[in-house]
Amino acid sequence: MRTWKTLMASAALAAMVGSAALAQNAAVDLPPITEFPREQTLIVHNPDNPAANPDFFNIWVAGAGQVQAGGLHQLMMDTLWYIDPNEGLDGSLYSSLAEDQWEYNDDFTEMTVRLREGLYWSDGVEFTADDVVYTVETLKSNPAFGAAAGLNRNVESVEAIDDYTVVFHLNEPNSRFHSTFTVRWNATWIMPRHIFEQSEDPTANAFNPPVGLGPYTLHSYDPNGAWYVWEKREDWERTSLAQYGEPGPQYIIYRSIPNVDNRLIEMVNGNLDMIHDLTPEAMFSLVDQDENARGWFPGFPYAHPDPTLPSIIFNNQNELFEDRRVRWALALMLDARQISMASYRGAATLSPIAIPPTGTHLADYHQPLQDWLIDYELDTGSSVINPYDPDIGLQVAEMVRPQFGDAVPTDETEIRQAFGYGWWAQNLEAAGELLEDAGFTRQGNDWYTPDGERFGFTLKTAETGVINRFGTMAAQQWSQAGVAVTAEVDPVIFGTTLNLGDFEAITSWTIESWGGDPDLSFFLDSWHSEFIVEPGERQPARNFQRFEHPELDRIIDELRVTEFGTQENLELGYDFVRLMVDEMPIIPMMSYNVFAAYSEQYWTGFPDAVERPYANPVTNWANSRYIFTQLEPAQ
Amino acid sequence: MRDYFTFVLKRLLQLAAVVFAGISAAFFITHLSPISPVDMIVNRVAAQSGGDPLAIQDLRDALAALFGTDLPLHEKFLNFWGRFLVGDLGPSLLAFPTPAIDLVMRALPWTVGLLVTSILLSWTIGNILGGLGGYYQNNRFLKAFGVLAMGVQPIPYYIVAFLLVLLFGYFWPVMPISGGFSINVRPGFTFEFIASVIHHSILPAASLVIVGLGISFLGMRAMVSNIVTEDYVTYAELAGVRTERVVFFYVIRNAMVPQLTGLAMALGGIFSGTIITEQVFAYPGLGSLLVNAVNAGDTTLVLAVSSIAVIAVAGAIFVIDLIHPLLDPRVKVK
Amino acid sequence: MFAIIRDLTRYNIEFAIGCVLVGIITLFALASFFAPVGPTMIYVVPPDMPPSLSYWFGTNSRGQDLFWQLSYAFRNTLTFGVMVAAISRIISITVGLLAGYLGGWVDRVLMFFNDIFVSLPIFPILILVYFVLRSNLDMFTLALIMGCLGWPFDARLIRSVSLGLRHREFTRHATFSGMTPRKIMFEEHLPYVMPIVLATAIANMIWSIGMEVTLAVLGFTNLNIPTVGTTLYWANNHSAMIVGVWWWILIPVILIVTLFIGLFLLTVSLNEYIDPRSRLRRMGGA
Repeated sequence: MRTWKTLMASAALAAMVGSAALAQNAAVDLPPITEFPREQTLIVHNPDNPAANPDFFNIWVAGAGQVQAGGLHQLMMDTLWYIDPNEGLDGSLYSSLAEDQWEYNDDFTEMTVRLREGLYWSDGVEFTADDVVYTVETLKSNPAFGAAAGLNRNVESVEAIDDYTVVFHLNEPNSRFHSTFTVRWNATWIMPRHIFEQSEDPTANAFNPPVGLGPYTLHSYDPNGAWYVWEKREDWERTSLAQYGEPGPQYIIYRSIPNVDNRLIEMVNGNLDMIHDLTPEAMFSLVDQDENARGWFPGFPYAHPDPTLPSIIFNNQNELFEDRRVRWALALMLDARQISMASYRGAATLSPIAIPPTGTHLADYHQPLQDWLIDYELDTGSSVINPYDPDIGLQVAEMVRPQFGDAVPTDETEIRQAFGYGWWAQNLEAAGELLEDAGFTRQGNDWYTPDGERFGFTLKTAETGVINRFGTMAAQQWSQAGVAVTAEVDPVIFGTTLNLGDFEAITSWTIESWGGDPDLSFFLDSWHSEFIVEPGERQPARNFQRFEHPELDRIIDELRVTEFGTQENLELGYDFVRLMVDEMPIIPMMSYNVFAAYSEQYWTGFPDAVERPYANPVTNWANSRYIFTQLEPAQ
Repeated sequence: MRDYFTFVLKRLLQLAAVVFAGISAAFFITHLSPISPVDMIVNRVAAQSGGDPLAIQDLRDALAALFGTDLPLHEKFLNFWGRFLVGDLGPSLLAFPTPAIDLVMRALPWTVGLLVTSILLSWTIGNILGGLGGYYQNNRFLKAFGVLAMGVQPIPYYIVAFLLVLLFGYFWPVMPISGGFSINVRPGFTFEFIASVIHHSILPAASLVIVGLGISFLGMRAMVSNIVTEDYVTYAELAGVRTERVVFFYVIRNAMVPQLTGLAMALGGIFSGTIITEQVFAYPGLGSLLVNAVNAGDTTLVLAVSSIAVIAVAGAIFVIDLIHPLLDPRVKVK
Repeated sequence: MFAIIRDLTRYNIEFAIGCVLVGIITLFALASFFAPVGPTMIYVVPPDMPPSLSYWFGTNSRGQDLFWQLSYAFRNTLTFGVMVAAISRIISITVGLLAGYLGGWVDRVLMFFNDIFVSLPIFPILILVYFVLRSNLDMFTLALIMGCLGWPFDARLIRSVSLGLRHREFTRHATFSGMTPRKIMFEEHLPYVMPIVLATAIANMIWSIGMEVTLAVLGFTNLNIPTVGTTLYWANNHSAMIVGVWWWILIPVILIVTLFIGLFLLTVSLNEYIDPRSRLRRMGGA
């Protein structure tokens, strides 16, 4: 009784102090108290922490806070094209504000875009070519905008031929310039000229309330930045998304829920329809206790493979890893099955090649290259072996079947899609031959470098459970094979350790690809040797392995003048894969499987891997906006 | 009385010196951080779009110039104090260009509201029960409470808080487990809003009270069980002074002075926020702001939070020192 | 010495219980020296097995035997807590007694530094220290830093008690009878201060271990070292509570509660022993 009174009294007091202080801030006019009927409302988990400055919607300013993935870029922003990381509703390439695909001139120094007609900003002003021109010119002239530097490098000038045609004049030939305005997670968004024109300094404009081209507008938001409520526009038909139908939910709420366990609780309680990510353990538990909860795969392993590739990245500037035979030996010491079990509880999609096994890549790369992989020969110096085991995915499926039973697919194609095709078979003998060939010596079970020192290094790894267990397991396997490797948790991998090259080897994701298109320029262009810095200096994204090779430069040079979406483009991709297998500058491991979940208690029509893989269910991707057009109330 | 004023004046000077030293220390520690806010932002921008490495370098340079992060440390230090003295803490780098102080002020009411209430409650109840527990050492209820307090106190706070979430949000879902108030009410001086704030603060406040109660209970009981053996208490008892009077005026009052110091410091300490409470209950406040700032290498924001914390604690000590001679006549003002 | 312990165990059941509880945990922690596996190895036993005869404390989702894992954890946590308490006790007793008894400029100077230390925001500092040192942040460094930050509260408490003592009759008698300040402080005043020292030492251990847990749960300690905090971090990282691997949380909590109840009973009984009047009261009452 006392405790109860204590609680009530404490709460009352807390409330009074809190609200008194708040009341002063709340003098601004706020909409009246509104109910959100549950059957008309979709509640989505936003993985970002509550926004530090929730009132600031100027998405173009670099580092402008965290409102972006809270619905702003999914529901209100729009730009010329989208590439879906999966198959898309009507092919993975969407023309959004653009009427159709980009057109380059012959030497790729000009790009012409025809815009869709009849699109309107959420405040009723018509969208025209002037908005595009204004966006490019404004972004170019203010270095505090994140896109300023890229546009200044590329764009000499931009002009509107008429209300619906824009021509970009480029500084240098660039066959990939359109990617600036093509959404993979996000892209450069088009600004409403009539809003920003009014402010003297467009970087200081808070853009509140935001005015957008998407089918939703801002309804209300938490002054503490934990949630944003968006309401469907009455004139949703005047947006580019309308061609795929009317978005189902009248309201969409994005909520930040930092604690993983609370996400599960909220979904089970019916307060959450889509979860960005869970731990593997929480995902298995969720589908177990909530009959409406689903993952991307209908059964085990549930998770959505995002188009990026957790790998072991060697610092190729470290002399320990200079020799490809050493890198290969280290790869052959690993047992992928055990790593899959330890990291993802078997729910990993393995990949032996440096392409994420996701989206359309499986059909574009993994499947066609199977025969080449099976026939691939590796000369260890004393023998020639076929290192590839095409059935590792099937073996992992059998390993998890006792625990997950019927949830594990039985169809071979489905298994390969979910667990991966194969990987390099663990072969300690061949690894030993390679090391000996490279001048290493063995004493007992311990390896020594040609200089006579103990062969060992530190493998840095992230804190997140999955990647951490992956790294810990790899270090353990190497130690058992006689290489003294210790795994070490590093909290600042991104932005600090990776860029500074402050590592010998590191587990991290790398190789971000489009997912829905075989083109590799998204990450590969930055791998050109011209961008590699001296040891100790800061390496700009994304060649963090600091690997250089004449063949790699040739591939990139040719890619720069090859048309997107052509067979030549794909052939160059194959060349890249073969080079990466030969050289093994990083050890590719598996796709970055995100345990995104959704609940069919209130809404149906979500994408899934088998029936309708039309979109990425991972909620913070701007591409996820296509899902909303497919949703229907469950009752 | 004149003595007292000189005392206050001296203490005031000391306060200023402490604040200066404390904030300067915070400044230098903050700038030891290897995390560069520029690189965190550049990385965020680069990770989300196909990046031309040269363009990324340009963006880096532009931001470094904008944030002034390339200046030498002593210049930054002088700049910092120059701006600090006119009340400008500079723009947050994590939420550029919003002033850091705005972010702090937004989070502050929630932290202060939640913590002041729970600290006062657990301190008052804990001390009264602890005082009684020290005096009536054979009372069964108080003994049982002592055992309970002893058992609960060492449980890591995180576990206590999360157990409340599990119990009242999962097994018996009657309480909201995240946010400061419901999504469908608007902030304002309305019944709905206040009710919603109360509803959302019950679990976080309860977790803090459960943990805080034990600390003040055990501390007070230890103090009192020493004081009851003092001669003047025995005399009073023998002289037939009423028991309640002995307990409250002879015993608890004397045990109060050190406990009051503890209270002032606890109140001053709330400005560092309660990061775990905020994480577990997704409750708004300073703690999460601070951790976000540290993670993002946002030195201005870390310093803004730290400065306020330094001022608050130093101020609390100042006040306690001023009233100490008034409370305990044996302490002479010098 | 032996006689004291015999007396204590005979008249004071709390002391006996306290000894047993603390003893159990200490033995458990020492068992780690005989562990068959290293603390960083994963997937050496089947994951998620509940406590059973083959795995007394069950196994966690990382495939580690919790018995040995927790044994390592308690060894590190205990060492850490004792180190912090010892370092901060030395500083706080010295500062508190000096300031309280000597007063004057000594008091002002000491309290000036004390106030700076009190007003330093400890939590941000610890996080920043972690970001500077990261994997080089070993237990001893963390203990040293926390010891240097954890004394000012208690120094003030000790000072305020000692301030009161200074104006008491017996101090004046002692001064008039020619005792040196050092003798007065450490022979006359220390016994009065000792209950607070012991009580605050326990509180300090709870504080430092709690702080370690807080930092660890947020991922701001060296996660490569097994401690009670990092155990909870990894449990949380694998959603142990919600998934039903309750033993990963419950067992460390039971152990830590046992440890602190033991420590607490020890202080209470030692306090009574040190202060003869309450000892008499108990024996008379019993």
